Amino acid sequence: MTTPSFNDLVNLSASLDGQLSSTELSRLESRIEQNAPFAAALGDLQQTRLLLRRTPARRVPRNFTLNLAMAGLRPPLPRLVPVFSWASVTAMLLFLFTMGANFLGSLSFGAAAPRMVSAPMNSEAYGVGGGPPATVAPASDNTQAIPTEQNLAVQSPEPTPLSESRPLPPEVTPVPKQTVEPVRIISYLFLGIALVLIAAALLIGWTNERAFRRRSGAKNEH
Amino acid sequence: MDEPELILAAKHGDLAAFNTLVLAYQTIVFNTALRILGDDDLAADASQETFISAFRALNSYRGGSFRAWLLRTVTNACYDELRRKQRRPTTPLEPGTDEGDEVENPRWLADPNASPEDQMDQAELEHAIQHCLDDLPTDFKAVVVLADIQGLDYSEVSVIVKKPLGTIKSRLARARMRMRECLQSFRELLPAAFRLENERGR
Repeated sequence: MTTPSFNDLVNLSASLDGQLSSTELSRLESRIEQNAPFAAALGDLQQTRLLLRRTPARRVPRNFTLNLAMAGLRPPLPRLVPVFSWASVTAMLLFLFTMGANFLGSLSFGAAAPRMVSAPMNSEAYGVGGGPPATVAPASDNTQAIPTEQNLAVQSPEPTPLSESRPLPPEVTPVPKQTVEPVRIISYLFLGIALVLIAAALLIGWTNERAFRRRSGAKNEH
Repeated sequence: MDEPELILAAKHGDLAAFNTLVLAYQTIVFNTALRILGDDDLAADASQETFISAFRALNSYRGGSFRAWLLRTVTNACYDELRRKQRRPTTPLEPGTDEGDEVENPRWLADPNASPEDQMDQAELEHAIQHCLDDLPTDFKAVVVLADIQGLDYSEVSVIVKKPLGTIKSRLARARMRMRECLQSFRELLPAAFRLENERGR
């Protein structure tokens, strides 16, 4: 009568699961017949194994199915995405062109705008009897500072015919409208195209995502 | 669709196909996690985490037993959780009696098909087994849960815990002996239906 060693226990345990070869099994069985402690150990292992196998399986508290967020899935890209990636680049270029054209247009407006040419400030410009402001008494003189009829008569020269003494003001040359209008029209046109492309891209993306959600929801329901 | 087709479809991003697999395996995954962790909520979290990471890592599945692949994932998740628990031990908020004894969780009695007596027996048995499992080292626990409670064969257990067959045999024998010693202290509590029966050679 020998008590089983740890290796014997391993073999006894494995024999319960059919993990021994036929020769190992026959050798073990002969030892079990000859040694009561072997039989007792085998009985204990059997009972424990049986008990463990009868452990009730618990119901799952909830379904562990995944939703789109858990799976980290995103809707597939619509087939028109390559087109619209080019379209977005084009729209951006058009938009930049539009902005640039408007900016240049405003610059060219500024260049072509008529400028007032200041009249020459010499005594001739005021004609006979008139004088430059230097002849006017300084403002510190109180008697001169108060405007009287006499003073005013001295300060404001009498009108003289333009043809005689006052030079003609320079003529304002009109800016040719033909250089501005086509740029503005084209920039508005490009801006419109860019907006249409952006709106179309947003619409396609939205409908694609909606269709994906509907499809996934329908699949997950079954 | 059979399992390989479902796996293939899931690999191509078909979530519905993967969810069909989830429904097929969620019970074994949850119960494995429950027996290793000994806590319903942690087991549910580990199971959910297992299916999420399984879906994301589906391309690394190279054939073989899908069940073993899933169980390896859940076993690893349980090891991680046990390590986390060891680092940050917590006190369970189980209801208790005035004497400090833990009150049984009423959800254990939730099987509507069993009579009240059977439900009580099941609850006693489950409590005793879980108590003894909790005392086992983690490596032994995983082997005994997979081989004896889930009924997997040694080769599958070997794949799941990534140990050779010889190690599985010795760990299982040792775990069974320790479980026997532990369950002997519950022998009087165990219902008659679960008292020691002979089923040699099963």
